[in-house]
Amino acid sequence: MEPVLCDEMRLRAITPRALFFAFLKVSLYGFGGPIVWARRVLIEERRWLSDSDFANILSFCQFLPGPNVVSMTVCIGAKFHGAAGALAALAGFILFPWTLGFAIGVVILSYAQTVLLQGILRGVAATAAGMIIATGIRLLRPHRRPLALIVTAIAFAGLAAARLPLLIVVVGLVPVSIAIAGRERAAAQ
Amino acid sequence: MSCSSNCSAPLIGHIALLAIISFGGVPGVLPDLHDFVVTARAWLTDREFADCFAIVQALPGPNMILMMSFIGWKVGGLPTAISCALVTFVPSCALAYTAFRFWNRFRDVAWQRRVQRGLAPVTIGLVIAGGFVMARTGDSGWLSLAVTGTAIGLMLITRINPLWLVCAGAVLGALGAV
Repeated sequence: MEPVLCDEMRLRAITPRALFFAFLKVSLYGFGGPIVWARRVLIEERRWLSDSDFANILSFCQFLPGPNVVSMTVCIGAKFHGAAGALAALAGFILFPWTLGFAIGVVILSYAQTVLLQGILRGVAATAAGMIIATGIRLLRPHRRPLALIVTAIAFAGLAAARLPLLIVVVGLVPVSIAIAGRERAAAQ
Repeated sequence: MSCSSNCSAPLIGHIALLAIISFGGVPGVLPDLHDFVVTARAWLTDREFADCFAIVQALPGPNMILMMSFIGWKVGGLPTAISCALVTFVPSCALAYTAFRFWNRFRDVAWQRRVQRGLAPVTIGLVIAGGFVMARTGDSGWLSLAVTGTAIGLMLITRINPLWLVCAGAVLGALGAV
């Protein structure tokens, strides 16, 4: 089968209903932050997006206010199916997972002081942190250019080591990074 | 519940404001929210605020929306929880939709490609830093860091379902090993 035809068939299969269920899965599985599962489900399982499509939409959403992954849900829904797609993806992401998470959380909050529960929370958070770091490293794959890696390292250090406010890091680093990308492109041509 | 129902409106208003100015993501405005609900108004104790954060990190789902909901629930019960959830994501989603339609129209234009190529390395650095900061929250010892390191390794070199990692983390935590 022609690869182009495969692509077309795959894109046609992305209905609002499919978007609803994909984002329901991303949300329900998304321990420690849904970004790990957004990458896994949308790129590896469904093959709806490439690593660089994903990173592009994520960076676009990092400039918007509000919960980043929720904005991403809206943008990916809109990319494939306009307003209906955005609403379907958002509904999948929030309705049931919020209800479930809220119900469980309210129960846990009443027992939050228990040693056992504190231990479980710490264990899950430590694992989830590793999953997020690994997802970031995977996303880096299409950007393995020396200068881009230096920009990534500076962004990381600014936030994680120097504890600078996110907005300062973004506003300070983005113009430099775009200028570098422009020069690299010019040099390649 | 440490507050009567007349606390709900100022809380919802404050969360709505923080959500719409939270450029770069909601975690960035959590320190401000802490100052408001714990320090200035004393609606929650420091410990309760920390518990809310720990729980949303360990729960699946839209975690920042849940964080706001738990604070709303502590202050004014279910109606406040739902209102806090809605003001966290509805305005920013409307904005995201509008902005994306506009951005997508210039998808294949050269300047946009260049901007995207420039944005991605910064974004990815921020994602990795987010995980790193999370790994270092609280009084995490070397065992906790070892769990994080193992999770990174297994995620990168195997195709293991991450849910198994979460289960293993929970079991180790329950045994008091983390």
